[in-house]
Amino acid sequence: MAEAIYDVLGQVLTRWTMGSAAAPVAHVWKAEIGEDPIEAELRLLALSGQFLGMAVIAEPPADLRALPDLPTLALPTLPDAARSLARRVLAAGDARHKRALAEFVAGRGWTLHPADWMPSASEEDAPDVYAPWRDWIEAATTGSGSRGASEGLTAANWADFWPAARNAALAELRRHDPGAARVLLETRLPGEGADTRLRLLGQLTQGLSEADAPFLETLAAGDRAPKVKALAASLLARLGRGSAVGEEATELAGFFTLGTKGLLRRSRTIAANGLKTHAQRIRRQTLFAGADYTGFAAALGMSGEELAAIWVWGDDVQADIELAGMAERSASDAIVADLATALAEHMPAR
Amino acid sequence: MAIDLGRIEALAIDQASLKAAAGLAKPGKWSGVGGSADGALIWGECAGSGANPYRVMADLRDLGNKCSCPSRKFPCKHALALLWLNAEAVVTFGPGEIPAWVSDWLGRRRGASAAPAGAAAKPASDAPKDLRAAQRAEPEAPEDPKAAARREASAAKRSEDTERVILDSLDALEQWIGDQLRMGLAAFIDDATARCRRIAARLVDGKAAALAGRIDELPARLLGHPAGDRPRAAVVELGKLVLLARAFRAAPRDADIRRAVASSESRETVLASSDTMRVTGLWEVLAEQVQTRRDGLVSQTTWLLNLGLEGPRFAMLLDYFPASAGRRTSAFTPGERFTGAIAFFPGRNPLRGLLLQRAADGSDPQGWPEAAPDLAEALTAPLHAEPWALDIPLLLPPGRVAIDAAGQGWWRPADATMALPLAEGVEGLIRGTELTRAAALWSGNRLAILAAQTPWGRIGADG
Repeated sequence: MAEAIYDVLGQVLTRWTMGSAAAPVAHVWKAEIGEDPIEAELRLLALSGQFLGMAVIAEPPADLRALPDLPTLALPTLPDAARSLARRVLAAGDARHKRALAEFVAGRGWTLHPADWMPSASEEDAPDVYAPWRDWIEAATTGSGSRGASEGLTAANWADFWPAARNAALAELRRHDPGAARVLLETRLPGEGADTRLRLLGQLTQGLSEADAPFLETLAAGDRAPKVKALAASLLARLGRGSAVGEEATELAGFFTLGTKGLLRRSRTIAANGLKTHAQRIRRQTLFAGADYTGFAAALGMSGEELAAIWVWGDDVQADIELAGMAERSASDAIVADLATALAEHMPAR
Repeated sequence: MAIDLGRIEALAIDQASLKAAAGLAKPGKWSGVGGSADGALIWGECAGSGANPYRVMADLRDLGNKCSCPSRKFPCKHALALLWLNAEAVVTFGPGEIPAWVSDWLGRRRGASAAPAGAAAKPASDAPKDLRAAQRAEPEAPEDPKAAARREASAAKRSEDTERVILDSLDALEQWIGDQLRMGLAAFIDDATARCRRIAARLVDGKAAALAGRIDELPARLLGHPAGDRPRAAVVELGKLVLLARAFRAAPRDADIRRAVASSESRETVLASSDTMRVTGLWEVLAEQVQTRRDGLVSQTTWLLNLGLEGPRFAMLLDYFPASAGRRTSAFTPGERFTGAIAFFPGRNPLRGLLLQRAADGSDPQGWPEAAPDLAEALTAPLHAEPWALDIPLLLPPGRVAIDAAGQGWWRPADATMALPLAEGVEGLIRGTELTRAAALWSGNRLAILAAQTPWGRIGADG
């Protein structure tokens, strides 16, 4: 009976879709729908609707696939009491705030519950502990199978890692064996795309040392991508190398006036020139973002240490912010420490 | 922290608010009453006309207050009554942990609470208000037997008249359905919104308001289907309307059918009916669905799972309020458990209910009940009893979400003997974990998961 109804319903649906009467073809329900043409259509509609609504369920396609289990992370999820607080913070914040919460929680040895927050596959800034989830999402999106890397990262098992897990494993390797991480990058970097090279090279900021200089010089001179070259150059600048006074540094130095003070022990001073137009402000900002710290100091005719010592904090807050950004990007750790100390001394006691 | 009645009198917007508050300032109307340890905050839940009690809270330092009712008056009668209960010590506001809904409110008004107390407690109106007058009972006229008989006769006549008007509007509905078939379902699907609006307006005039609301939402349900499936979905929707119209003709006094066609009984009628089933037990909040309807109302549906052995497995609390009243505070948090009494609207498969009483949150670690042994039966049996039903709540056995090539989600039982298509795109954790038990709504061809138990704990539909 059901088969006969299926056969008839195909025709009935086609007729109603086009606006034709369907009762004449519904032989299986002839007795139930009666002879009156208007009434027969309504009764047939009630019967067809009931049959289609109860007995017909869409057939699943043959390619149905279940995703693998979401991996468990290295850190436990928040306990229930803290979870409800985290949910309230997540509900109120945007993506940046959510990530900041994830970092805050990870810093204290926990992870957010996956029902409350998961990073997207492309969320590079998510804490490393979430790398397995990012890779799981990427595998789910692309329909790829699992990659079975469970040991430490090596040149041999490089391809067994999903990108986020690889990035996290490289960061871990750099933390406990900086030389091995650099050697690994020397081997694998040439085979990666420019964006990946840039991201992986960024890992060298952790534990940067003189031993990295030859590799960085190779990249600064010969990498295919300008942004990788620029990153290598700024890392070299942090090591106090290769910072010739460029045009940008010279132009930037023109925004400042050098002077002297003191009668007996004359010392140099530096003051930001007043900016008359918005265009000047933007230009100075651009130059700060492009030049490196040591080059800027050299254009002013002094060493990086001397610049850190004479910089006057608080006179031009915008210049302070830009100098700090430049130093963070391209000054050595010692100079960054000097600048931080000077800034802390300038800050009024709270 | 003591407050005097004069301040409540001054706070009230008018005498009518005070009068209404006087009727609510009785212990029997309140549950979950409590206060903060320093005595500055008080809160409680007051039974209103809706399915859920209203959550009321006040800060005694400046008499700031908040209520989840849709009233446009501020302060509303519930907030005044809460203050009244406190001022006259009608109930004890025992110190307790501040509920999340109170601390949420407190967080939002942190800036306001810094304002001088005098400013916040400024009288809202200069019209004379008298708390004692509000408490006086109105004298009741002696009952006249003849007048009562006349009233009954007139009510019976009104009911017959209403029935006749509804039957006329159902004739118009069937004629309209016939017209849609004659003009072709392809054209109907393209123009469903305008066509449904017209017949819905006719049904509102014909006192078939519930049916009108359902038809108003029909185009949105149709659009929820893939384009190729819409003719089939249209046949199912229109077929259910014919069945409902015929059912009303056959049994116009049937409570289920009348509710689906005309309107729901009032809270008082449900509570007074001898057919009303009352179930006291442990409930878990599965999900809350808030939907803005085409008629300008917002429907707030709360789905509850009965964790006990007696009574219906599910309860649905349904409230409506005007969209213009703004966003309303939820009465529940998904996942919370409470012990409570629910009165079910009389019917074949009691589902819609009114929450009568709600005790402190249950901390019972009890798991979810077992799913029905025969899933196919659970999917169809309720539709045999009420073929016009739109959504059937059910508990699913262990299973998992699977994805097809187009990204559409399907729920599959652990033995993979069947697959049910999911109503909406599913993202995140629910795609990557076993669902040891799931509570879902089955619409006859689509499954909407409300909540599930997993190795990661309980998760909602969006997790």
